Amino acid sequence: MIRFYKHRFIYFTISICLILCGVVFAFINGIQLDIQFKGGSILKYTYSDTINAEEAEKFIEQAVGRTTNCQLQTNMAKDEKKLVVSLAGNEALTSQEQETVTAALTKAYPNATLTLSESLTVEPFIGKQFFTNGMIAIVLSFLLVLAYVGWRFKRIGGLSAGTMAIVALIHDALIVTAVFIVFKIPLNDSFIAAVLTIIGFSINDTIVIYDRIRENERLMGKKTSVEELVDTSINQSMMRSINTNIAVFLSITVVYIFAQIYDISSIRAFALPMMFGTISGCYSTICIAGPLWTMWQKRKEKNPAASASA
Amino acid sequence: MNSKRGFFITVLLTAVLLCIAVFGVKIGNFEIKGADQMRYGIDIRGGVEATYEPKDLGRAATENELEAARTIIETRMDAKNITDRDVTIDKGNGKIIVRFPWKSDEADFDPQKAVSELGETARLTFRDPDGNIILEGTDVTKSKAQLSPQDGTPVVTLELSKEGGEKFAEATGRLIGQEISIYMDETLIRSPIVGSRITGGKAEITNLSSTEDAAALASKINSGSLPFSLVVKNCNIISPTLGSSALAVMVMAGKVAFVLVCLFILFYYRLPGLVACIALILQVTGQLLALSVPQFTLTLPGIAGLILSVGMGVDANIIVAERIKEEINTGKTLLRAVEAGFERAFSAVFDGNITVIIIAIILIIFGSGSMLSFGYTLICGVIMNFIAGVTASRVMIRSLGNYKLFRKPQYYGARRQVNDQVL
Repeated sequence: MIRFYKHRFIYFTISICLILCGVVFAFINGIQLDIQFKGGSILKYTYSDTINAEEAEKFIEQAVGRTTNCQLQTNMAKDEKKLVVSLAGNEALTSQEQETVTAALTKAYPNATLTLSESLTVEPFIGKQFFTNGMIAIVLSFLLVLAYVGWRFKRIGGLSAGTMAIVALIHDALIVTAVFIVFKIPLNDSFIAAVLTIIGFSINDTIVIYDRIRENERLMGKKTSVEELVDTSINQSMMRSINTNIAVFLSITVVYIFAQIYDISSIRAFALPMMFGTISGCYSTICIAGPLWTMWQKRKEKNPAASASA
Repeated sequence: MNSKRGFFITVLLTAVLLCIAVFGVKIGNFEIKGADQMRYGIDIRGGVEATYEPKDLGRAATENELEAARTIIETRMDAKNITDRDVTIDKGNGKIIVRFPWKSDEADFDPQKAVSELGETARLTFRDPDGNIILEGTDVTKSKAQLSPQDGTPVVTLELSKEGGEKFAEATGRLIGQEISIYMDETLIRSPIVGSRITGGKAEITNLSSTEDAAALASKINSGSLPFSLVVKNCNIISPTLGSSALAVMVMAGKVAFVLVCLFILFYYRLPGLVACIALILQVTGQLLALSVPQFTLTLPGIAGLILSVGMGVDANIIVAERIKEEINTGKTLLRAVEAGFERAFSAVFDGNITVIIIAIILIIFGSGSMLSFGYTLICGVIMNFIAGVTASRVMIRSLGNYKLFRKPQYYGARRQVNDQVL
């Protein structure tokens, strides 16, 4: 049997280090928002022949009078070259301006057979709204999960169980965010979706363990110490936690590998953080939520009057 | 149901449903579309999603104005032969959201231009048979559909400005018995015949087929006096080639992920693993049907949600299989172990699934565009998981447990030999 409670400070240290790592990278890389959240325009063209990105930038800036950034991308699997044009500005690029950009590029590079493959324009104001909505969604999911777990696990101290589950969830959300920051993936709605999914998935894990604690409390009787109770429960359900995580990790990794090879950026940006999130979800349940809950209960034992309700 | 046959009935049912989900079925008017006829989002089939709002309008657009603007956009899309479209009005924010596909056979279709054109100020004109313009949209102050007070048939009434009334009186005097054609841009929308000279600035168009027809015509004429043009604030264009290759990749990824997950649980849990595989097929089948029957839009994140729920769905089976293994090891007979395994595992599976449902609902409410599909596939996955991963799995394992052949503990990954006695 693995003594999770005994080694708890090792686990806490590992988690804190990982999260600090994310914070450090946030200072180095900065937190990038996708244009979905900060507003702006991005136009992607496929082309043949050769294009000079800096030169293209100048052509576009002349045509629409906005700060432009051009990048060239190649894709091994599909053997195709892409010109990515990003435009900043406080006002959204109008569709007429978009046409101007395309026209300017076609005129400058008549032999490049430029074809629009993708374009996205978001007004900064609406982008901010999306971002706020996403954040509300994340906070709301925390609250609802807290309420549900608190209600379902009244028997083992609903408030403490709920709170510790939330600590584990915040841990996972931070790890997922750190992955976005470390790998310089701009935050967009896949970020919100990834965080929410990991929350849903990780709480699932935590619930299975709480469920076992709830059951074992009945079976093992009052004499067993909290420490013993929790460690036994975690060990009993550990194979399940690991195997489920392997299954989820397998499926999301396959998605990531395919998205990486075939360059589907929207899916790649979502699958990579999810991969880390599944591991984090499993880890936070076993090594964080369980031991933390034990600590809370132990304190209560020592000090029954102070936290009678928890 | 004879519990011995449960396994085979479930397998058969799964196979039938899978065939329906993949190939579709059509009996008379009843039709379920196959997997290849899913309704895909624009990120897969290519297309345009644009949000229009009034340009330089100092106030919020009224509902009538938005309706009129929608009519303009719809009429123009008709003219461009874009029938498979989706135009919705966001009253609260005064916006019009337009989605339409960009078909792969339209090589010279210019989506950027189409987006601009849809938002331009509409030019409504009344023309005589020689093509001379009699009235313009701004000459019509109001147009309304109503039932004629005389005979109760649907009519459209027009109120004209003073200047418009004079022009109209002159023209109708000249054109009795001939047609006056009403155009939006260059699209002919109606050619009523002039019955008599119309003075006083009030006209009536009769001979309409239905009240709906009248309402549509009135709204088209109204749109001619719309005081603003539309500007695009948010726009997303995706070429069909980009989308379709992404679809192929994701479908491939889904198949590979499915096979890997199945191999993993088969290898690890043996008999309950086999049951889990069948339950997974049933779960995915249910998800596909939940998409194809109501023709719910499926996007790339939606497919990712499908694949993810394969991984998550297997959780119910894993919890149960682990529990059965434990119960066998504590010395229970196989059938008792199976029953106890399912009973004890249920509360964990239930609570876990409910929280995923909570999250999925939040995703559906707050998620923008393509994420809606992700929330939907996720929620269908969880609901199907209750049916497939819990109920159907239980029927299958219980049924197999009735055969002596399948009662060996090692088939369940247990260490101990069990007594071979029946309950």
